[in-house]
Amino acid sequence: METEHKFQILILDDEPIVCKRLKPALEKAGYEAETFTQSAMALHRITEKEFDVVITDLKMEGLDGMAFLTEVKKRYPKTEVIVITGFATMDTARQSYQKGVFDFVAKPFKLKEILDVVENALAKRTATEKGNVP
Amino acid sequence: MNVLDRLKSWFSFGKTTPAYPFAALFKKFQNILKANNDALELIADMGAKLSGDYVFDRQYILSSCAELSDQIYRLIVDLNTLTSRKYLELFNRYERIHQSIEEELAGKWILPQGDAVIAYEAMGQGLHELVGNKNANLADVKNVLYLPTPDGFAITTSAFRIFLEQNGLYQMIQQRLQQYADEAELQGAQTPQSIESIAAEIQNAIRNGAIPESLHREIAKAVRALQQTKRSSGLFFAVRSSAWGEDAEYSFAGQYQTILNVASDRLLDAYRSVLASAYNPSALVYRSRKGFQQHEVAMAVGCQLMIGAVASGVLYTMDPSADERDVALVSATWGLGAPLVEGTVAVDTYTIDRQPPFQLRSMHVVRKPTMLMLSPDGGTETRPVSPELENKGCLSSAQLQRLVEMGMLIERFFKRPQDIEWALDSDGKFFILQTRPLKIRSKTGSTTLDIAEIVKRHPVRMQDRGIVVQRGVATGRVFLLEDPDDLDGVPHASILVTHHTSPRLARVMRRIHGIITDVGSQTGHMATIAREFRIPCIVNTGMATRIFRTGEEVTLDATQNVVYEGRVEELLYYEFTEEDVFEETYEYRLLHRLLKRISPLNLVDPHESNFRPADCKTYHDIIRFVHEKAVEEIVDLENRRAGSSGQARELVMDIPLGLCVIDIGGGLLPQSDEKRIGRQDIVSVPMNAFLDGLERSGMWNSGPVSVDFGSFMSSMTRTMSPALSDPRNAGRNLAVITNAYFNLSLKLGYHYNIIDAYVSDQVNDNTAYFRFLGGVTDMTRRSRRAAFIGEVLERFNFRVEIRGDLVIGRIKKCPRKIMEQKLWMLGSLVSYTRQLDVQMHEDADMEKHTQLFCQQTLARLQEGTEASLLPIESQPP
Repeated sequence: METEHKFQILILDDEPIVCKRLKPALEKAGYEAETFTQSAMALHRITEKEFDVVITDLKMEGLDGMAFLTEVKKRYPKTEVIVITGFATMDTARQSYQKGVFDFVAKPFKLKEILDVVENALAKRTATEKGNVP
Repeated sequence: MNVLDRLKSWFSFGKTTPAYPFAALFKKFQNILKANNDALELIADMGAKLSGDYVFDRQYILSSCAELSDQIYRLIVDLNTLTSRKYLELFNRYERIHQSIEEELAGKWILPQGDAVIAYEAMGQGLHELVGNKNANLADVKNVLYLPTPDGFAITTSAFRIFLEQNGLYQMIQQRLQQYADEAELQGAQTPQSIESIAAEIQNAIRNGAIPESLHREIAKAVRALQQTKRSSGLFFAVRSSAWGEDAEYSFAGQYQTILNVASDRLLDAYRSVLASAYNPSALVYRSRKGFQQHEVAMAVGCQLMIGAVASGVLYTMDPSADERDVALVSATWGLGAPLVEGTVAVDTYTIDRQPPFQLRSMHVVRKPTMLMLSPDGGTETRPVSPELENKGCLSSAQLQRLVEMGMLIERFFKRPQDIEWALDSDGKFFILQTRPLKIRSKTGSTTLDIAEIVKRHPVRMQDRGIVVQRGVATGRVFLLEDPDDLDGVPHASILVTHHTSPRLARVMRRIHGIITDVGSQTGHMATIAREFRIPCIVNTGMATRIFRTGEEVTLDATQNVVYEGRVEELLYYEFTEEDVFEETYEYRLLHRLLKRISPLNLVDPHESNFRPADCKTYHDIIRFVHEKAVEEIVDLENRRAGSSGQARELVMDIPLGLCVIDIGGGLLPQSDEKRIGRQDIVSVPMNAFLDGLERSGMWNSGPVSVDFGSFMSSMTRTMSPALSDPRNAGRNLAVITNAYFNLSLKLGYHYNIIDAYVSDQVNDNTAYFRFLGGVTDMTRRSRRAAFIGEVLERFNFRVEIRGDLVIGRIKKCPRKIMEQKLWMLGSLVSYTRQLDVQMHEDADMEKHTQLFCQQTLARLQEGTEASLLPIESQPP
């Protein structure tokens, strides 16, 4: 019997606790999640594999989140990106949307909130893959 | 008058008329009230993060603390503006608290002299950096779970640091290790000092180090305290290492020393010996490989009174090797447990069910010819076991039941299977000596648990309802609690489903696995206890009592806010395998510690002598203080403004309340200077709602209750607030109102109530505060009365705090209609309680009255709408 394809999610946040709390929640919801606290490692990973959804923080040391998500969208335009950040401003929100971000979730967030957004992002991606949405 | 003159006259003391127009001051007063509520809101918000329902990081903690500190500071500024700088001392208190918060955030902990030694019973939660993991866990077992552990004390990591510093050991250790690191790099070094000899040098230096005088004193003090409690001067201790650090337990387990049966006059040597063991060769190598910095070594030492053990052993709450995961494993031997832990002696082994009634599954009893016993003068010795015990099992199945039950409570609390060292004394009492997380191997040959698949097989009974008070996974049988009196009937290991949160549920907290309620507060007493015990808990679901039936098996995953049909044990195991326990993470503990300086309320009664700026220990105290003083001030200002006659008008009512009303902005219909007003003159929304409840609920019993203020006031020794002590207001109840605001100080019989409410069409601004303080009857009756009031308030969705005979209830952000109903209820409650003192003979009376009152009130309110009964979330905006 063919195993069902599980959606692949990449999480990048320089705070380990965010990764540690998100991963089990996503797994319980039926997704596979890989977590990174260093943007260099995350960058390397996306050269190896395409993810369905990428969740990334914006303000981090080293490569900043905006640059990372730009890179992701460049390689895989159909991968949906969700931005999480504790420094939510109108400006960063606007910038993110301009770069093609799917949605923006301000920290702190409830687990349910992020799961809902991931679900919506995946729905859009599935539709896109099937060619329903340009 | 120009600006400068105005400012000068404003900031000069001794003036009775303020230079600012009253309207401006009143606006300032309103700002203070709003800022007050905002600050309380932010504190509640921070507390809610401990539920585990939110993902937050250090940044959140930093920014909330910054925002809160700002708000508190501005509150103090505003109060001083309002009161012509009467409370400048508050700035000092603020600074102290602010400073300690900043230090906490910067990663330093405060090191006052006393923190070198802490007794176990005085150990609060989350002190891992100070007392080490082992001691911190024991403190939780002792003080939160109330399980028996040996008395004793910890010598902290800060004592360790002072010890190293004063003996010049930091540098010495640093140098030696640097040498070793350098020599290791230079392959061709001539005579590299081996790690063994470096370790020996360091250990020697530690063992011969001088104990700082202050530390010596603290240790002696702790020993003396124990000698007094135990009424014995011949005390013996187990001296154990308790290191701090993530890897501490796993890598160094067994490598640090434990010394048994140390006489109190040999404690200092034992202490140094245990410290020295942290610098044994393998520990040094391990640390250097892992890149541990020298300053990161933090050794605390625990000194536990020795238990004269008849039998001892180890309990694994889950068998780490078995494919079956529903058994616990006990090993036991006669006498002390050290040889068992070291693996040098034969032991009995038992497997027991992890579920109640904790039945024995299998046992393997071996011949035990020798045992380790305490030597009378210190140390231990091996002795032969008497012939009749050699082949006898150490524990009966009844004893095993008790032991495993304790173990499961500990496992649920730490959310990890536990490796527990226990001892049984000659009185048949079990003691927990030590507990730590148990490493479980994953099932051999299985792929990673596909938790999502497994979970899909179980129907969802309820999802995304209510508020998560405490995250976590629990399995068990539902028990639907209908009669709050029947707490004894609540079975062990059940998932409790009940209508509302209640402080009384604290009694069953230790034996239940989870809680789900229809209505209730996420910040009240019960919620706090649920978090203390880490019992998965969801409140305010609106429907739980309608959905679940007693006896059905469910799995409560409070982390995801789902309830599944049946026991999904895999979810429990999945939680066990999560990388970190949320409650043990740095962020959780940091927030928990910070909130200790922020949310506990110490200032309780404005009429007590301890209601001063100097007594503010937390931000919450400051908020409380500012609130009370602001109200006092505005009343004062109103009196002064109006001149000697005062603007307090007497309210004529059917009920002889003797109520005086001060209108500070649109609370009454425009009047000529009437000294008396009637109900029809009142515009204030909250006041009207309250008085309606008071007068028209039918609760007011016109029986013979003394309202002779003169005589009972003389029997009260408390000081009065300035407003009430003003001779013009003596013997009066006082209300301060605007069209939307209502502040009432009400003395009725022996009861003293304060109601403070703001009700407008802006939902977000609405708030009501109710404070009830008992009178001069005995404490038992007063506590019963308080419990009754607290219970009623909870049923009506207030956030409740009870302190002996003081009850505080708060509710906010309801639509206007709902707020009016709450105030109506408060009015009828005040009415009803007026009589209650003499009638509260027994606890059973309390329950009777709760039912009676609630029924009657609900009946009346239902004549309007039912909306006030629903949990707040499902009410229309």
